Amino acid sequence: MRWLLCLLFVSGWMLQTPSLAEEPLVVAPATSDVRITTDFAGTTIQAVGAMSKSGELIIKLVGPKQQATLSRETKVGPFWVEGERVKMEEAPSLLFLYATSPIASILSPEDQQKYGLILEGVWVRVEPQLKAHAASDWRKAFFRLKEKQGYYHEDDRAIRVFGNRLFIADMRLPGDLQVGTYTVETLLVKSGKVVGHTVGSFKVRLSGIERWVWNEAHDRSWLFGSLFTLLCMLVGLALNAFPLRRTH
Amino acid sequence: MEFFLPIAHMDVNIVLISLYGALVGFLSGLVGVGGGFLITPLLIFSGIPPIVAVSSGAAQMTGTASGASYLHWRHGNIDFKMGLTLLIGSWLGGGFGVYLAKLLLRAGQFGNVVVFLYVILLGIIGVSMLIESVRAVARAGKPGAGTAAAPAKPKSLLRDWMQRLPWQTSYPASGVRMSVVGPLLLGAAVGILTSLMGVGGGFIMVPVMIYVLKMPTKIVVGTSLFQLLFTTAAVSIMQAGINHSVDPFLALILILGSVLGTKLGARLGARLPAEKLRLILALVVVAVAVKMVVTLLIPPGDIYAMTIEVR
Repeated sequence: MRWLLCLLFVSGWMLQTPSLAEEPLVVAPATSDVRITTDFAGTTIQAVGAMSKSGELIIKLVGPKQQATLSRETKVGPFWVEGERVKMEEAPSLLFLYATSPIASILSPEDQQKYGLILEGVWVRVEPQLKAHAASDWRKAFFRLKEKQGYYHEDDRAIRVFGNRLFIADMRLPGDLQVGTYTVETLLVKSGKVVGHTVGSFKVRLSGIERWVWNEAHDRSWLFGSLFTLLCMLVGLALNAFPLRRTH
Repeated sequence: MEFFLPIAHMDVNIVLISLYGALVGFLSGLVGVGGGFLITPLLIFSGIPPIVAVSSGAAQMTGTASGASYLHWRHGNIDFKMGLTLLIGSWLGGGFGVYLAKLLLRAGQFGNVVVFLYVILLGIIGVSMLIESVRAVARAGKPGAGTAAAPAKPKSLLRDWMQRLPWQTSYPASGVRMSVVGPLLLGAAVGILTSLMGVGGGFIMVPVMIYVLKMPTKIVVGTSLFQLLFTTAAVSIMQAGINHSVDPFLALILILGSVLGTKLGARLGARLPAEKLRLILALVVVAVAVKMVVTLLIPPGDIYAMTIEVR
């Protein structure tokens, strides 16, 4: 029912604002904030919008950049141990591509490249000392792991279109999210050309006690460590010693 | 029931982690061991980064050791002079160990070192405990077992060597005289193990204090706990200060689980024969060691693995 209300809201919004009604593509802000709390296990963000003419839609959700370290297990004698490690920088923590049809059938490879719509074409900085062929192996492994873990994926059935004008996309975010700014790019494609393009964003942030713990553990780490260790001692005493003392 | 850990930056099942704490506490109550050597591998098997598992394990042991230390202090079972000598050693060793952990983390070898240390230590301890407890169970089944004489102890070369060391001093509470170098070295070894493995080191400390330092068993347990409490506390503070790796939620869940498990284990332990309890523990230790060896021997499904730097 919520999506229906959203659609009504978008339709009303377009009709009331003449300049917006002339825009080829309007997307209502899905959310401005996702807060990670103790019980956060992922959430669904909805992108709701309207298009002035029928066409194909593509929505690109990009997470903040992150630094990842890839390691490769090697065999030493009979044992499999962690061997070489390579840093992969500048890659988005999350990349979801949603479309009304397979993207390759909507846009030319050049336009896909131009708008960053190829999962494995995302820019990732691999440690510069690696030779080109080695860097390519690590890059392939990076994309494979990201897709396997569900952080990079493409879905051509996630956008629902109503009456060739209104649309809604459900974007399921996983539980382990990188904090930072996420951008949502929406493209309207007609006859293989991009005729509408909007960019929005929302923030993912640690909230409540998680945020406080993270900040204290990094900004005042010695004080945090000392006080928390003292707390552990007191909790242990309270749970262990005092009940026993009463019984003896 | 998923729960977000802010320092490990991952979701864990709160019921599973509490059960781990309870299992280790249960064994602790059943046979009187600290259980630190079990909690770290269990957390690593759950996908928690080794450095967070080791550091939060140290914080958890501070919590579980404080209650027990308090009770031993009230009963006068702590040799404070010996405890402080051991502590100086373990703090120095612990500081060195935390620094070593930082270097190993930078080189990407921390996980390898921890797993191999566990395989070696758990293997040696588990197999020797298993042999000893199988023999004890067999002896207990034979008639006249209760009156059988204990096997003669071999002459300790280590003890002879320690008597020749400088700075000999007496420890009146334990009724022994020895060089401070011995307890300092013992403390340092345990401190390094606490930093690298998240263990209290009781499984090394207690036999050495009984058989090498010749301290009375009652004083050994109290003094070992006193040393364990302040060593794990110092390591917990240093890991939080230097490596930012103590996850408070993880440590608190483990403390709550282990306290409950300890009480249950202690109740059951009072009803079961000691040799069978030691056999149970030996089997658990061997099982964990075997699981770790199998992990090292089986080719991984994907030779690549990814670690995300959380900022």
